[in-house]
Amino acid sequence: MKKLFDVLGWVAIAVLLSPFVIAWLPLGGVSTGLPAPWWHSLLLSFRQLSITLTATVVVAGVITLGLGYLSILQPVVGKVTAGVLDAVESVPAILVALFCYAPVAVALASHAGAYSTNLSLAVFIFAATLTSLPEAVRGLALPLGELYHRKYSVSMRSYGFPKGRILRVLLNSKAMRDVIRRTAAGILLKTLVLDTSFSFIIQVGMGANGTPAHTSPGGLIAAWRMVLLDSSSGPPELFWVPVGLLVMVSLAFLLVLGNDKEAAV
Amino acid sequence: MSAVPDPIVLENFSVHLKDRLLFNIERFQPKGGTSTVITGTTGSGKSVLLRALAGLLSGPFAVHGSMRLHNEAAYADGRKSDLTTWRRILHTGITFVPAETAQAMNPALSLEQNLRLICPDARPLVERRLKEFFSLDFARFAKQYPDEVSGGELQRITLMILLSRTAELVYLDEPTVNLDRQLRKRFIDFLNKEILGGQGKTVLMASHDLDFVRALQLDTILRLEGQKLLTVDKLPENAARVKEDDQGEGAEGLVLTDVSQHYKYRGLFGDRPSWAYKHLNVSFRRSHIYGITGPSGCGKTSMVRGILRLVDGTSGTITLGDQDLVALKTRERGKDPVAFLPFRRRLAIVQQDSRFSFFPDLKIRESLTQIDKAWGGTEFYQEAKVTALMDKIQLRRGLLDNLPRALSSGEMKRMDIVRALAAEPDVILLDEPFAHIDFETRALVMQAISDYLKAKAAILIVVTHEDFDLQYFVQTEYDFLSRVRNEFPVAP
Repeated sequence: MKKLFDVLGWVAIAVLLSPFVIAWLPLGGVSTGLPAPWWHSLLLSFRQLSITLTATVVVAGVITLGLGYLSILQPVVGKVTAGVLDAVESVPAILVALFCYAPVAVALASHAGAYSTNLSLAVFIFAATLTSLPEAVRGLALPLGELYHRKYSVSMRSYGFPKGRILRVLLNSKAMRDVIRRTAAGILLKTLVLDTSFSFIIQVGMGANGTPAHTSPGGLIAAWRMVLLDSSSGPPELFWVPVGLLVMVSLAFLLVLGNDKEAAV
Repeated sequence: MSAVPDPIVLENFSVHLKDRLLFNIERFQPKGGTSTVITGTTGSGKSVLLRALAGLLSGPFAVHGSMRLHNEAAYADGRKSDLTTWRRILHTGITFVPAETAQAMNPALSLEQNLRLICPDARPLVERRLKEFFSLDFARFAKQYPDEVSGGELQRITLMILLSRTAELVYLDEPTVNLDRQLRKRFIDFLNKEILGGQGKTVLMASHDLDFVRALQLDTILRLEGQKLLTVDKLPENAARVKEDDQGEGAEGLVLTDVSQHYKYRGLFGDRPSWAYKHLNVSFRRSHIYGITGPSGCGKTSMVRGILRLVDGTSGTITLGDQDLVALKTRERGKDPVAFLPFRRRLAIVQQDSRFSFFPDLKIRESLTQIDKAWGGTEFYQEAKVTALMDKIQLRRGLLDNLPRALSSGEMKRMDIVRALAAEPDVILLDEPFAHIDFETRALVMQAISDYLKAKAAILIVVTHEDFDLQYFVQTEYDFLSRVRNEFPVAP
């Protein structure tokens, strides 16, 4: 029965994440009854969002694993890393994103097309990685340190296993794999919130469609918010469909995040 | 006083661990307000039964039969009832005190917050009980977090918090494990006065400690044996073992001279030292069994870790042969210096908590072969050697192919001892080695260790709280506090 619930849980998560897959399907001929430019923007924004999330979780995930491992292996690295990440965490994520865009603002304005899109994406991934790292590294290093210092260190070290090797084995344990999975879900959720809120604010403030050369569902929501007040601007679905899709994918990440499996040790 | 209804009813209740039947209980229905103890050998399923009764059984266990708790169907035809039913059961009241008591505390909350969460409004009761029976002032620890107090203090505080809940059903799983002799006496006094005998609570306890069971005012004694729950009229005598006669005149082995140990705590103005013990002087000869006793938190485990050279902050000399281990390895940086490596292989430990002695996701056999690899393929793990030791202490060979979490705490402890002996070390450090092992099996394990000691002329140090170990195993007892001079400062 428990296995059945597990399978059903993963199926639900897959369904909730389906907008990212559907966005990449060739749906040119599909008639939705909604304006074609809006439909095109929606698909484009979810494609870009899927790229942003995938790239961020890979970059931030690798850095998190490295920093989490090194923090426990070398306590000095742990102390320095904790200090730097605490400082980053004290700044609101949206301000971090704005600061990151500031140095490349001129380059974004003076170039168009793929160059601008790629640069904007790279800057956003950098900002999202920076803002998600403090929580992610802490979320990984604390249980890894707990496993090592309070549980396995004396016994394993007494048989000559070096600390680095013990940590590698523990990182690959079921308990830590669950932690890594939840950490990845946390990074994705935080990046999704940052992407949506950042592009919403840019759209409301600057009137452009999304972040600088970076389309996002948040920008689309901001752009079509008027349909809620003025029915002549279009049907309310233009606002609610992207909202609903964002709620779906957020729920999927929350489900993974909340799936707090019993520790395997 | 009105009659208390029977809070537990088990009918044809059985639990399998994978293919192995742990127990099959036809009927078990203790009277409400009575106390029952379940004895039995290590691995017989006592803890599993208590965990099932507390609704905490998970993992590779299969349940059959029915269980009613507080007149609610907790299990019906082997199926656990839904959360709503269990909420009603728990609301009526169950307290489960696990063997590793401190596990019940949430590490992210202070002790005061834990108390409020576990038994709201019971602080005055907890404070009185801690002061009266354990001489602890709770107010001094209230703001601290579980990892900021010593293991012994945390265990005492947790025990009193859990046992001060208003629950009608109380389960205790090996409650004396890790309590020193003095504390054990006080705990018995507490149980007899405030929990057992007409207090209205239905108490169910699992224990292999027959001395402890004898001292309690219990109504019923049961034994889990041959997968059945049997009524016992009289407790069996302790499995006596003839202690070998040895005067401790073997060759000089390990000598600790003026050893002090400190840890560093982060303070407002930088790190500051906290001394575990100062000026320890003690020597251990070969082929002799030394027992180290002393109250919880006095520094016994720190001494063991200092000998293993797995802690920083050790001063003095620890001489093995003609080498000073402290000079060979002054600091623990996660890797041993080349000069220390030969000594690493001469030292082995069996920790207090053996649950973490093997890699969590590797089968026991794979963990053992990993040690071979760590030692450069020196064939530490030889099937014949390991299985011969397992046979000697009645461990099933099939356990080698199990994951650590599939072993009971007693099996895990014995497996850890097998691992230590199979490594053929020169120095064996046993830190509360028999805590989870019943007295009958314990005598076998003691014999296996004694045989090894005789064959290899090794050095054996046993940290223990238990009278049984001192009576039947230890040849020379050292009171740790009589060997240290904590009142004198340590020169910088």
